Amino acid sequence: MRVPKSERILAYVILITMASLVLAPVLAGSITAFKPQIIWVSSPPTWIFEPTLENFEFVFFTRKGWLYLRNSLIISIGSVALALILGVPAAYAFARFRFRGSKALMQWLISLRMIPPIVVGLPFYAMFLNLERTFNIGLRDTYPGLIITYQTFLLPLVIWMMRGYFADLPAAMEESAMVEGYTRLGALLRVVLPVVWPGIVATAILNFIFAWNEFFLALILAGNRTSTLPMTAGTYIVRTRVEWGNLFAVNLIIMAPVIVLTIILRQQLVKGLTFGILE
Amino acid sequence: MKVVLKDLLKRFTNSDRAAVNTINLVIEAGELAVLLGPSGCGKTTTLRMIAGLEEPDSGRITINKRDITDLAPKDRRVAMVFQNFSMYPTMNVYDNIAFPLHAIKLGRKEIDETVREVARLVNIDHLLQRSVRQVSGGEAQRVALARSMVRRPEVFLMDEPLSNLDAKLRVQLRTEIKRLHQETSATFIFVTHDQEEAMTLGDKIIVMKDGDIQQAGTPHRVFFAPENAFVANFVGTPSMNLLPGAVQKTASGAYRLQLPGFDLALPARFNDGLNNLRGDQVIWGIRPEAIRLAAETGENCVSGVVELVEALGSRDLIFARVEDQLFRVIVDALDSTAVGAPCHLRFDGAQMHLFDADSERSLLAEQTTAGTG
Ligand SMILES: Nc1ncnc2c1ncn2[C@@H]1O[C@H](COP(=O)(O)OP(=O)(O)OP(=O)(O)O)[C@@H](O)[C@H]1O
Ligand SMILES: [Mg+2]
Repeated sequence: MRVPKSERILAYVILITMASLVLAPVLAGSITAFKPQIIWVSSPPTWIFEPTLENFEFVFFTRKGWLYLRNSLIISIGSVALALILGVPAAYAFARFRFRGSKALMQWLISLRMIPPIVVGLPFYAMFLNLERTFNIGLRDTYPGLIITYQTFLLPLVIWMMRGYFADLPAAMEESAMVEGYTRLGALLRVVLPVVWPGIVATAILNFIFAWNEFFLALILAGNRTSTLPMTAGTYIVRTRVEWGNLFAVNLIIMAPVIVLTIILRQQLVKGLTFGILE
Repeated sequence: MKVVLKDLLKRFTNSDRAAVNTINLVIEAGELAVLLGPSGCGKTTTLRMIAGLEEPDSGRITINKRDITDLAPKDRRVAMVFQNFSMYPTMNVYDNIAFPLHAIKLGRKEIDETVREVARLVNIDHLLQRSVRQVSGGEAQRVALARSMVRRPEVFLMDEPLSNLDAKLRVQLRTEIKRLHQETSATFIFVTHDQEEAMTLGDKIIVMKDGDIQQAGTPHRVFFAPENAFVANFVGTPSMNLLPGAVQKTASGAYRLQLPGFDLALPARFNDGLNNLRGDQVIWGIRPEAIRLAAETGENCVSGVVELVEALGSRDLIFARVEDQLFRVIVDALDSTAVGAPCHLRFDGAQMHLFDADSERSLLAEQTTAGTG
């Protein structure tokens, strides 16, 4: 596509302005993460200093950040894996078969995405409490507890995104494989999955980012054993002061994987989010 | 492999009309049968039921006396070429052709030999390492053909495999399919809505409409002895001239046909059919090729005016108006006339068709009894 030069320049100006507005605070904060404690807050702010990793060391080791990082990873990867295992086959079924109520079910799924987390979090808490008392099944402050709860938000996203990818493929593709000697599952694994693979990756990343950033449900349902990184960020804002350097160090640790993932898989992400039309 | 469809019925849930309406069909071993009919008549549905991709509501399907009605597609030992799908996009040509072989346990060497042999057969052996993006539509269709052949099935199902190709390529691939059929001596069931394709390819043509089989027979019979007005109209381009008329028995026992503006003597071969006709209303048919331009008027001749002339190459298609009726007439281009000229149309009695106006069935007795011939 050819775009006139003037328009292209205009587009860049707008994009750079918007990017600066969004990124400036993030950048300023990220710099603070590398400042020694004495100049966390100085007026005017100090920009020239010898960068240090002491803030990271503090939040990572002294305040057990590595533990929360591990929790976050386990919960995020676990939720995404479960959501994909359940959601991808469901999406395929929605794309290929019409059954009683399939349309209503899809709409109900999307409505789940619009519910504020608190509406989900408190009932889950009550449910977990009852399970504990009645059946002695403990889910509060456990990895499975959070992973199950996150499905409320991840599953609809997986199903909606993946259904789009499947629906775009001609049914004749797997039907051909079925005539050629494979079961439907075999056809799905051998010919359909390789084609929708970029879509699965994009879906996984989006879901990972959601689970990774999730704060509210974790606050309600996680505890000492399963605290996630975003939950601990708040602990650096104490009554008397804010530990800016430490706070931003945690923030950077939270942001890092999201940024890295997005950069590495940028192309697949764009393809996934635009359903391949921007190829 | 002989394929037999017995009372096959398929009704889709959201439709009140049967997509395939209790059809019976016998396709002999080694035959190339063509399912022909207008869009939506149930050709694809029939084929998909044979392949096992669609479950019939009732009826049985047997291949060589083996009842396959309840088998999974993979266990039916049939191959299928689809209309809108040719290549698995993530595999190159070689892997596409090898794909069905991976479903059965075969050695690497055997797979390689088979792939190359089949690729040679459809002239794509120089493309084996190409990806989907690097092959043309015609080549992709050949890949689909090769993939269908690679397991040496005894029944081939082809759903309009050529309809997405340009005219020249279509004719070329059509010839190759015919050749493949002769070389493999397998049973082919080929779907098309192109009646010329059906004529040139088929040992047997099965004409369908609204889920029913209208006629099944050799291309010759379907063309020259249509069993009903629909087949008469659908098969042949330009299509047959069909006119409503009324018959009268003369004192001699022969029949005359009264058409708008003129009347004709009917050949004696219709007598049996006409003697059994209820009422006097019929549909009279004559192919454009069976009408001659005569120098002067006479028996079975009518005068009209040339309204339009279309060049078809060595022949011309003339539209001649007689009263309210436009006749399609095919003439040798050298014998053609000018637009606006008066003309005399002579109808060849031996090539006339007559159908009951109610049932639209042919009034030739020998044809009305023919089931699947
Ligand atoms: N999956 C389906 N669900 C509902 N109705 C269907 C389905 N598939 C086909 N039909 C209907 O069944 C009838 C026969 O369809 P079919 O695809 O067999 O026609 P066809 O002869 O192959 O037509 P074409 O030449 O357009 O391919 C049509 O009326 C069609 O609308
Ligand atoms: Mg069809």
